[in-house]
Amino acid sequence: MDSRPSDEMLLLAVAERDMGAFRTLYERHAGWLAIRLARRCNDRDLVADAIGDTFVAVWQKPQGFRGDGDIAAWLWGIAIRRLVSRLRTRGSVAAVFEHAGVAPAAEDQVLLSVEYGDIGQALARLSPEMRAVIQAVVLDGLSAREAAQLLHVPVSSVKTRLYRAKAHLRAALAEGPS
Amino acid sequence: MTGWHLDDDTLRRYVERTDSLAEGASAEQHLLSCEPCRARVNTAASVIELSVIDFAAVWDRTRDAIEVPRASVFERLLRGAGLPAQEARLVAVASAFRGVWLVGVAAVLAFAALAAAVGHTRGMWLFLAVAPIVPCLVVASSYDPWMDPALEPELVTPYPMLRLILLRTSAVLALALPTVLLSGLFIPTEEPFAWLLPAVGFVAVVLAASTWFSPLRSAIAVSSVWLGVIWLLALRSGAPEAVLQARVQAAFLALAAASFSIFLVRRRRLHQLRPWR
Repeated sequence: MDSRPSDEMLLLAVAERDMGAFRTLYERHAGWLAIRLARRCNDRDLVADAIGDTFVAVWQKPQGFRGDGDIAAWLWGIAIRRLVSRLRTRGSVAAVFEHAGVAPAAEDQVLLSVEYGDIGQALARLSPEMRAVIQAVVLDGLSAREAAQLLHVPVSSVKTRLYRAKAHLRAALAEGPS
Repeated sequence: MTGWHLDDDTLRRYVERTDSLAEGASAEQHLLSCEPCRARVNTAASVIELSVIDFAAVWDRTRDAIEVPRASVFERLLRGAGLPAQEARLVAVASAFRGVWLVGVAAVLAFAALAAAVGHTRGMWLFLAVAPIVPCLVVASSYDPWMDPALEPELVTPYPMLRLILLRTSAVLALALPTVLLSGLFIPTEEPFAWLLPAVGFVAVVLAASTWFSPLRSAIAVSSVWLGVIWLLALRSGAPEAVLQARVQAAFLALAAASFSIFLVRRRRLHQLRPWR
């Protein structure tokens, strides 16, 4: 391996109040975290605030990482929840989930079916609202309540949409590609 | 870590958000465990038109946020009581809340209580002289510009002075009263807390007077008058309890009410706190 310190070592140094290590950790992770958050919230300022909150939380409680799994996954868990809580306090600002939704080109479709089998197509046929719920709950691992805050819909809607989306996917997969 | 990595096209589509949900989800799952690909996303994030946020600015803000000294116990207590963070800091920053000052107050009271316990009548006079004026001195110092250098920038900020003073006054009383009450327990009299009304009255007088004069000067003046009265009474009659009888208490209550009304009516004049430095 190269001589660069691992994320784990950086985090240990951050626990020792090492500002240099903290800076390195920020440079390694702020970028992709921001890109990923920006896919869930169109408000740049909010994303910036959430990133700031995330790293403040890391500085204050580096021992929150218990050594299981990737530090990146731990950071993401903090970041998405900070975004949710920022959205909750901001209230009126809309978190728009407009996934660019450019229809995949033919060759991409082929690639997709190679990589994901029929799931990619089944997902693509879901309505944007259902996709957003699937993304928040299944892929991002948020609770129904957090997803509801992120999407600005009632908790009950999250639950019914998730239920319908799952039924939809199940049917689509059972049918096979149409 | 596998040998598999995001290819350049997938990565570009991911960053530009032109991918499908499934593809994006797959990329995100991979990114969580692949440092080289994360580094590539970071690079892409810094060059693309869609540059998400100003990373340097966010870093500066983050560093500022963590370099601010940790909130004091008292400030966290205020925040726990439901005060917004900025207000909690504004209230807690007053010098009256520095531990040393409170220890001094406690020491004075403990001394007075001790004197009362030991010296009986003369000690009782001493306690009566000291206990009621401590709260108003502490309150005055909590918003006197001379005691609190932070007050000057506060006065030019668009923050209601009245709110600040009332918040600080209640906070300081909440802190000082337990000490004062505790020392009252050691006083050999039937009504160990009868001096509370005079204390409240003096706090109100100081608040009202600070619409004309400096809070600290007002508090010192009030204290001097009270000490003088106690001195005269002690010389003339020997019974300290006379000061605490019901009629006198009612008078103090009226004094408190009247002064507080004056304070509220003249609250706009609080801006004149500024000149004294």
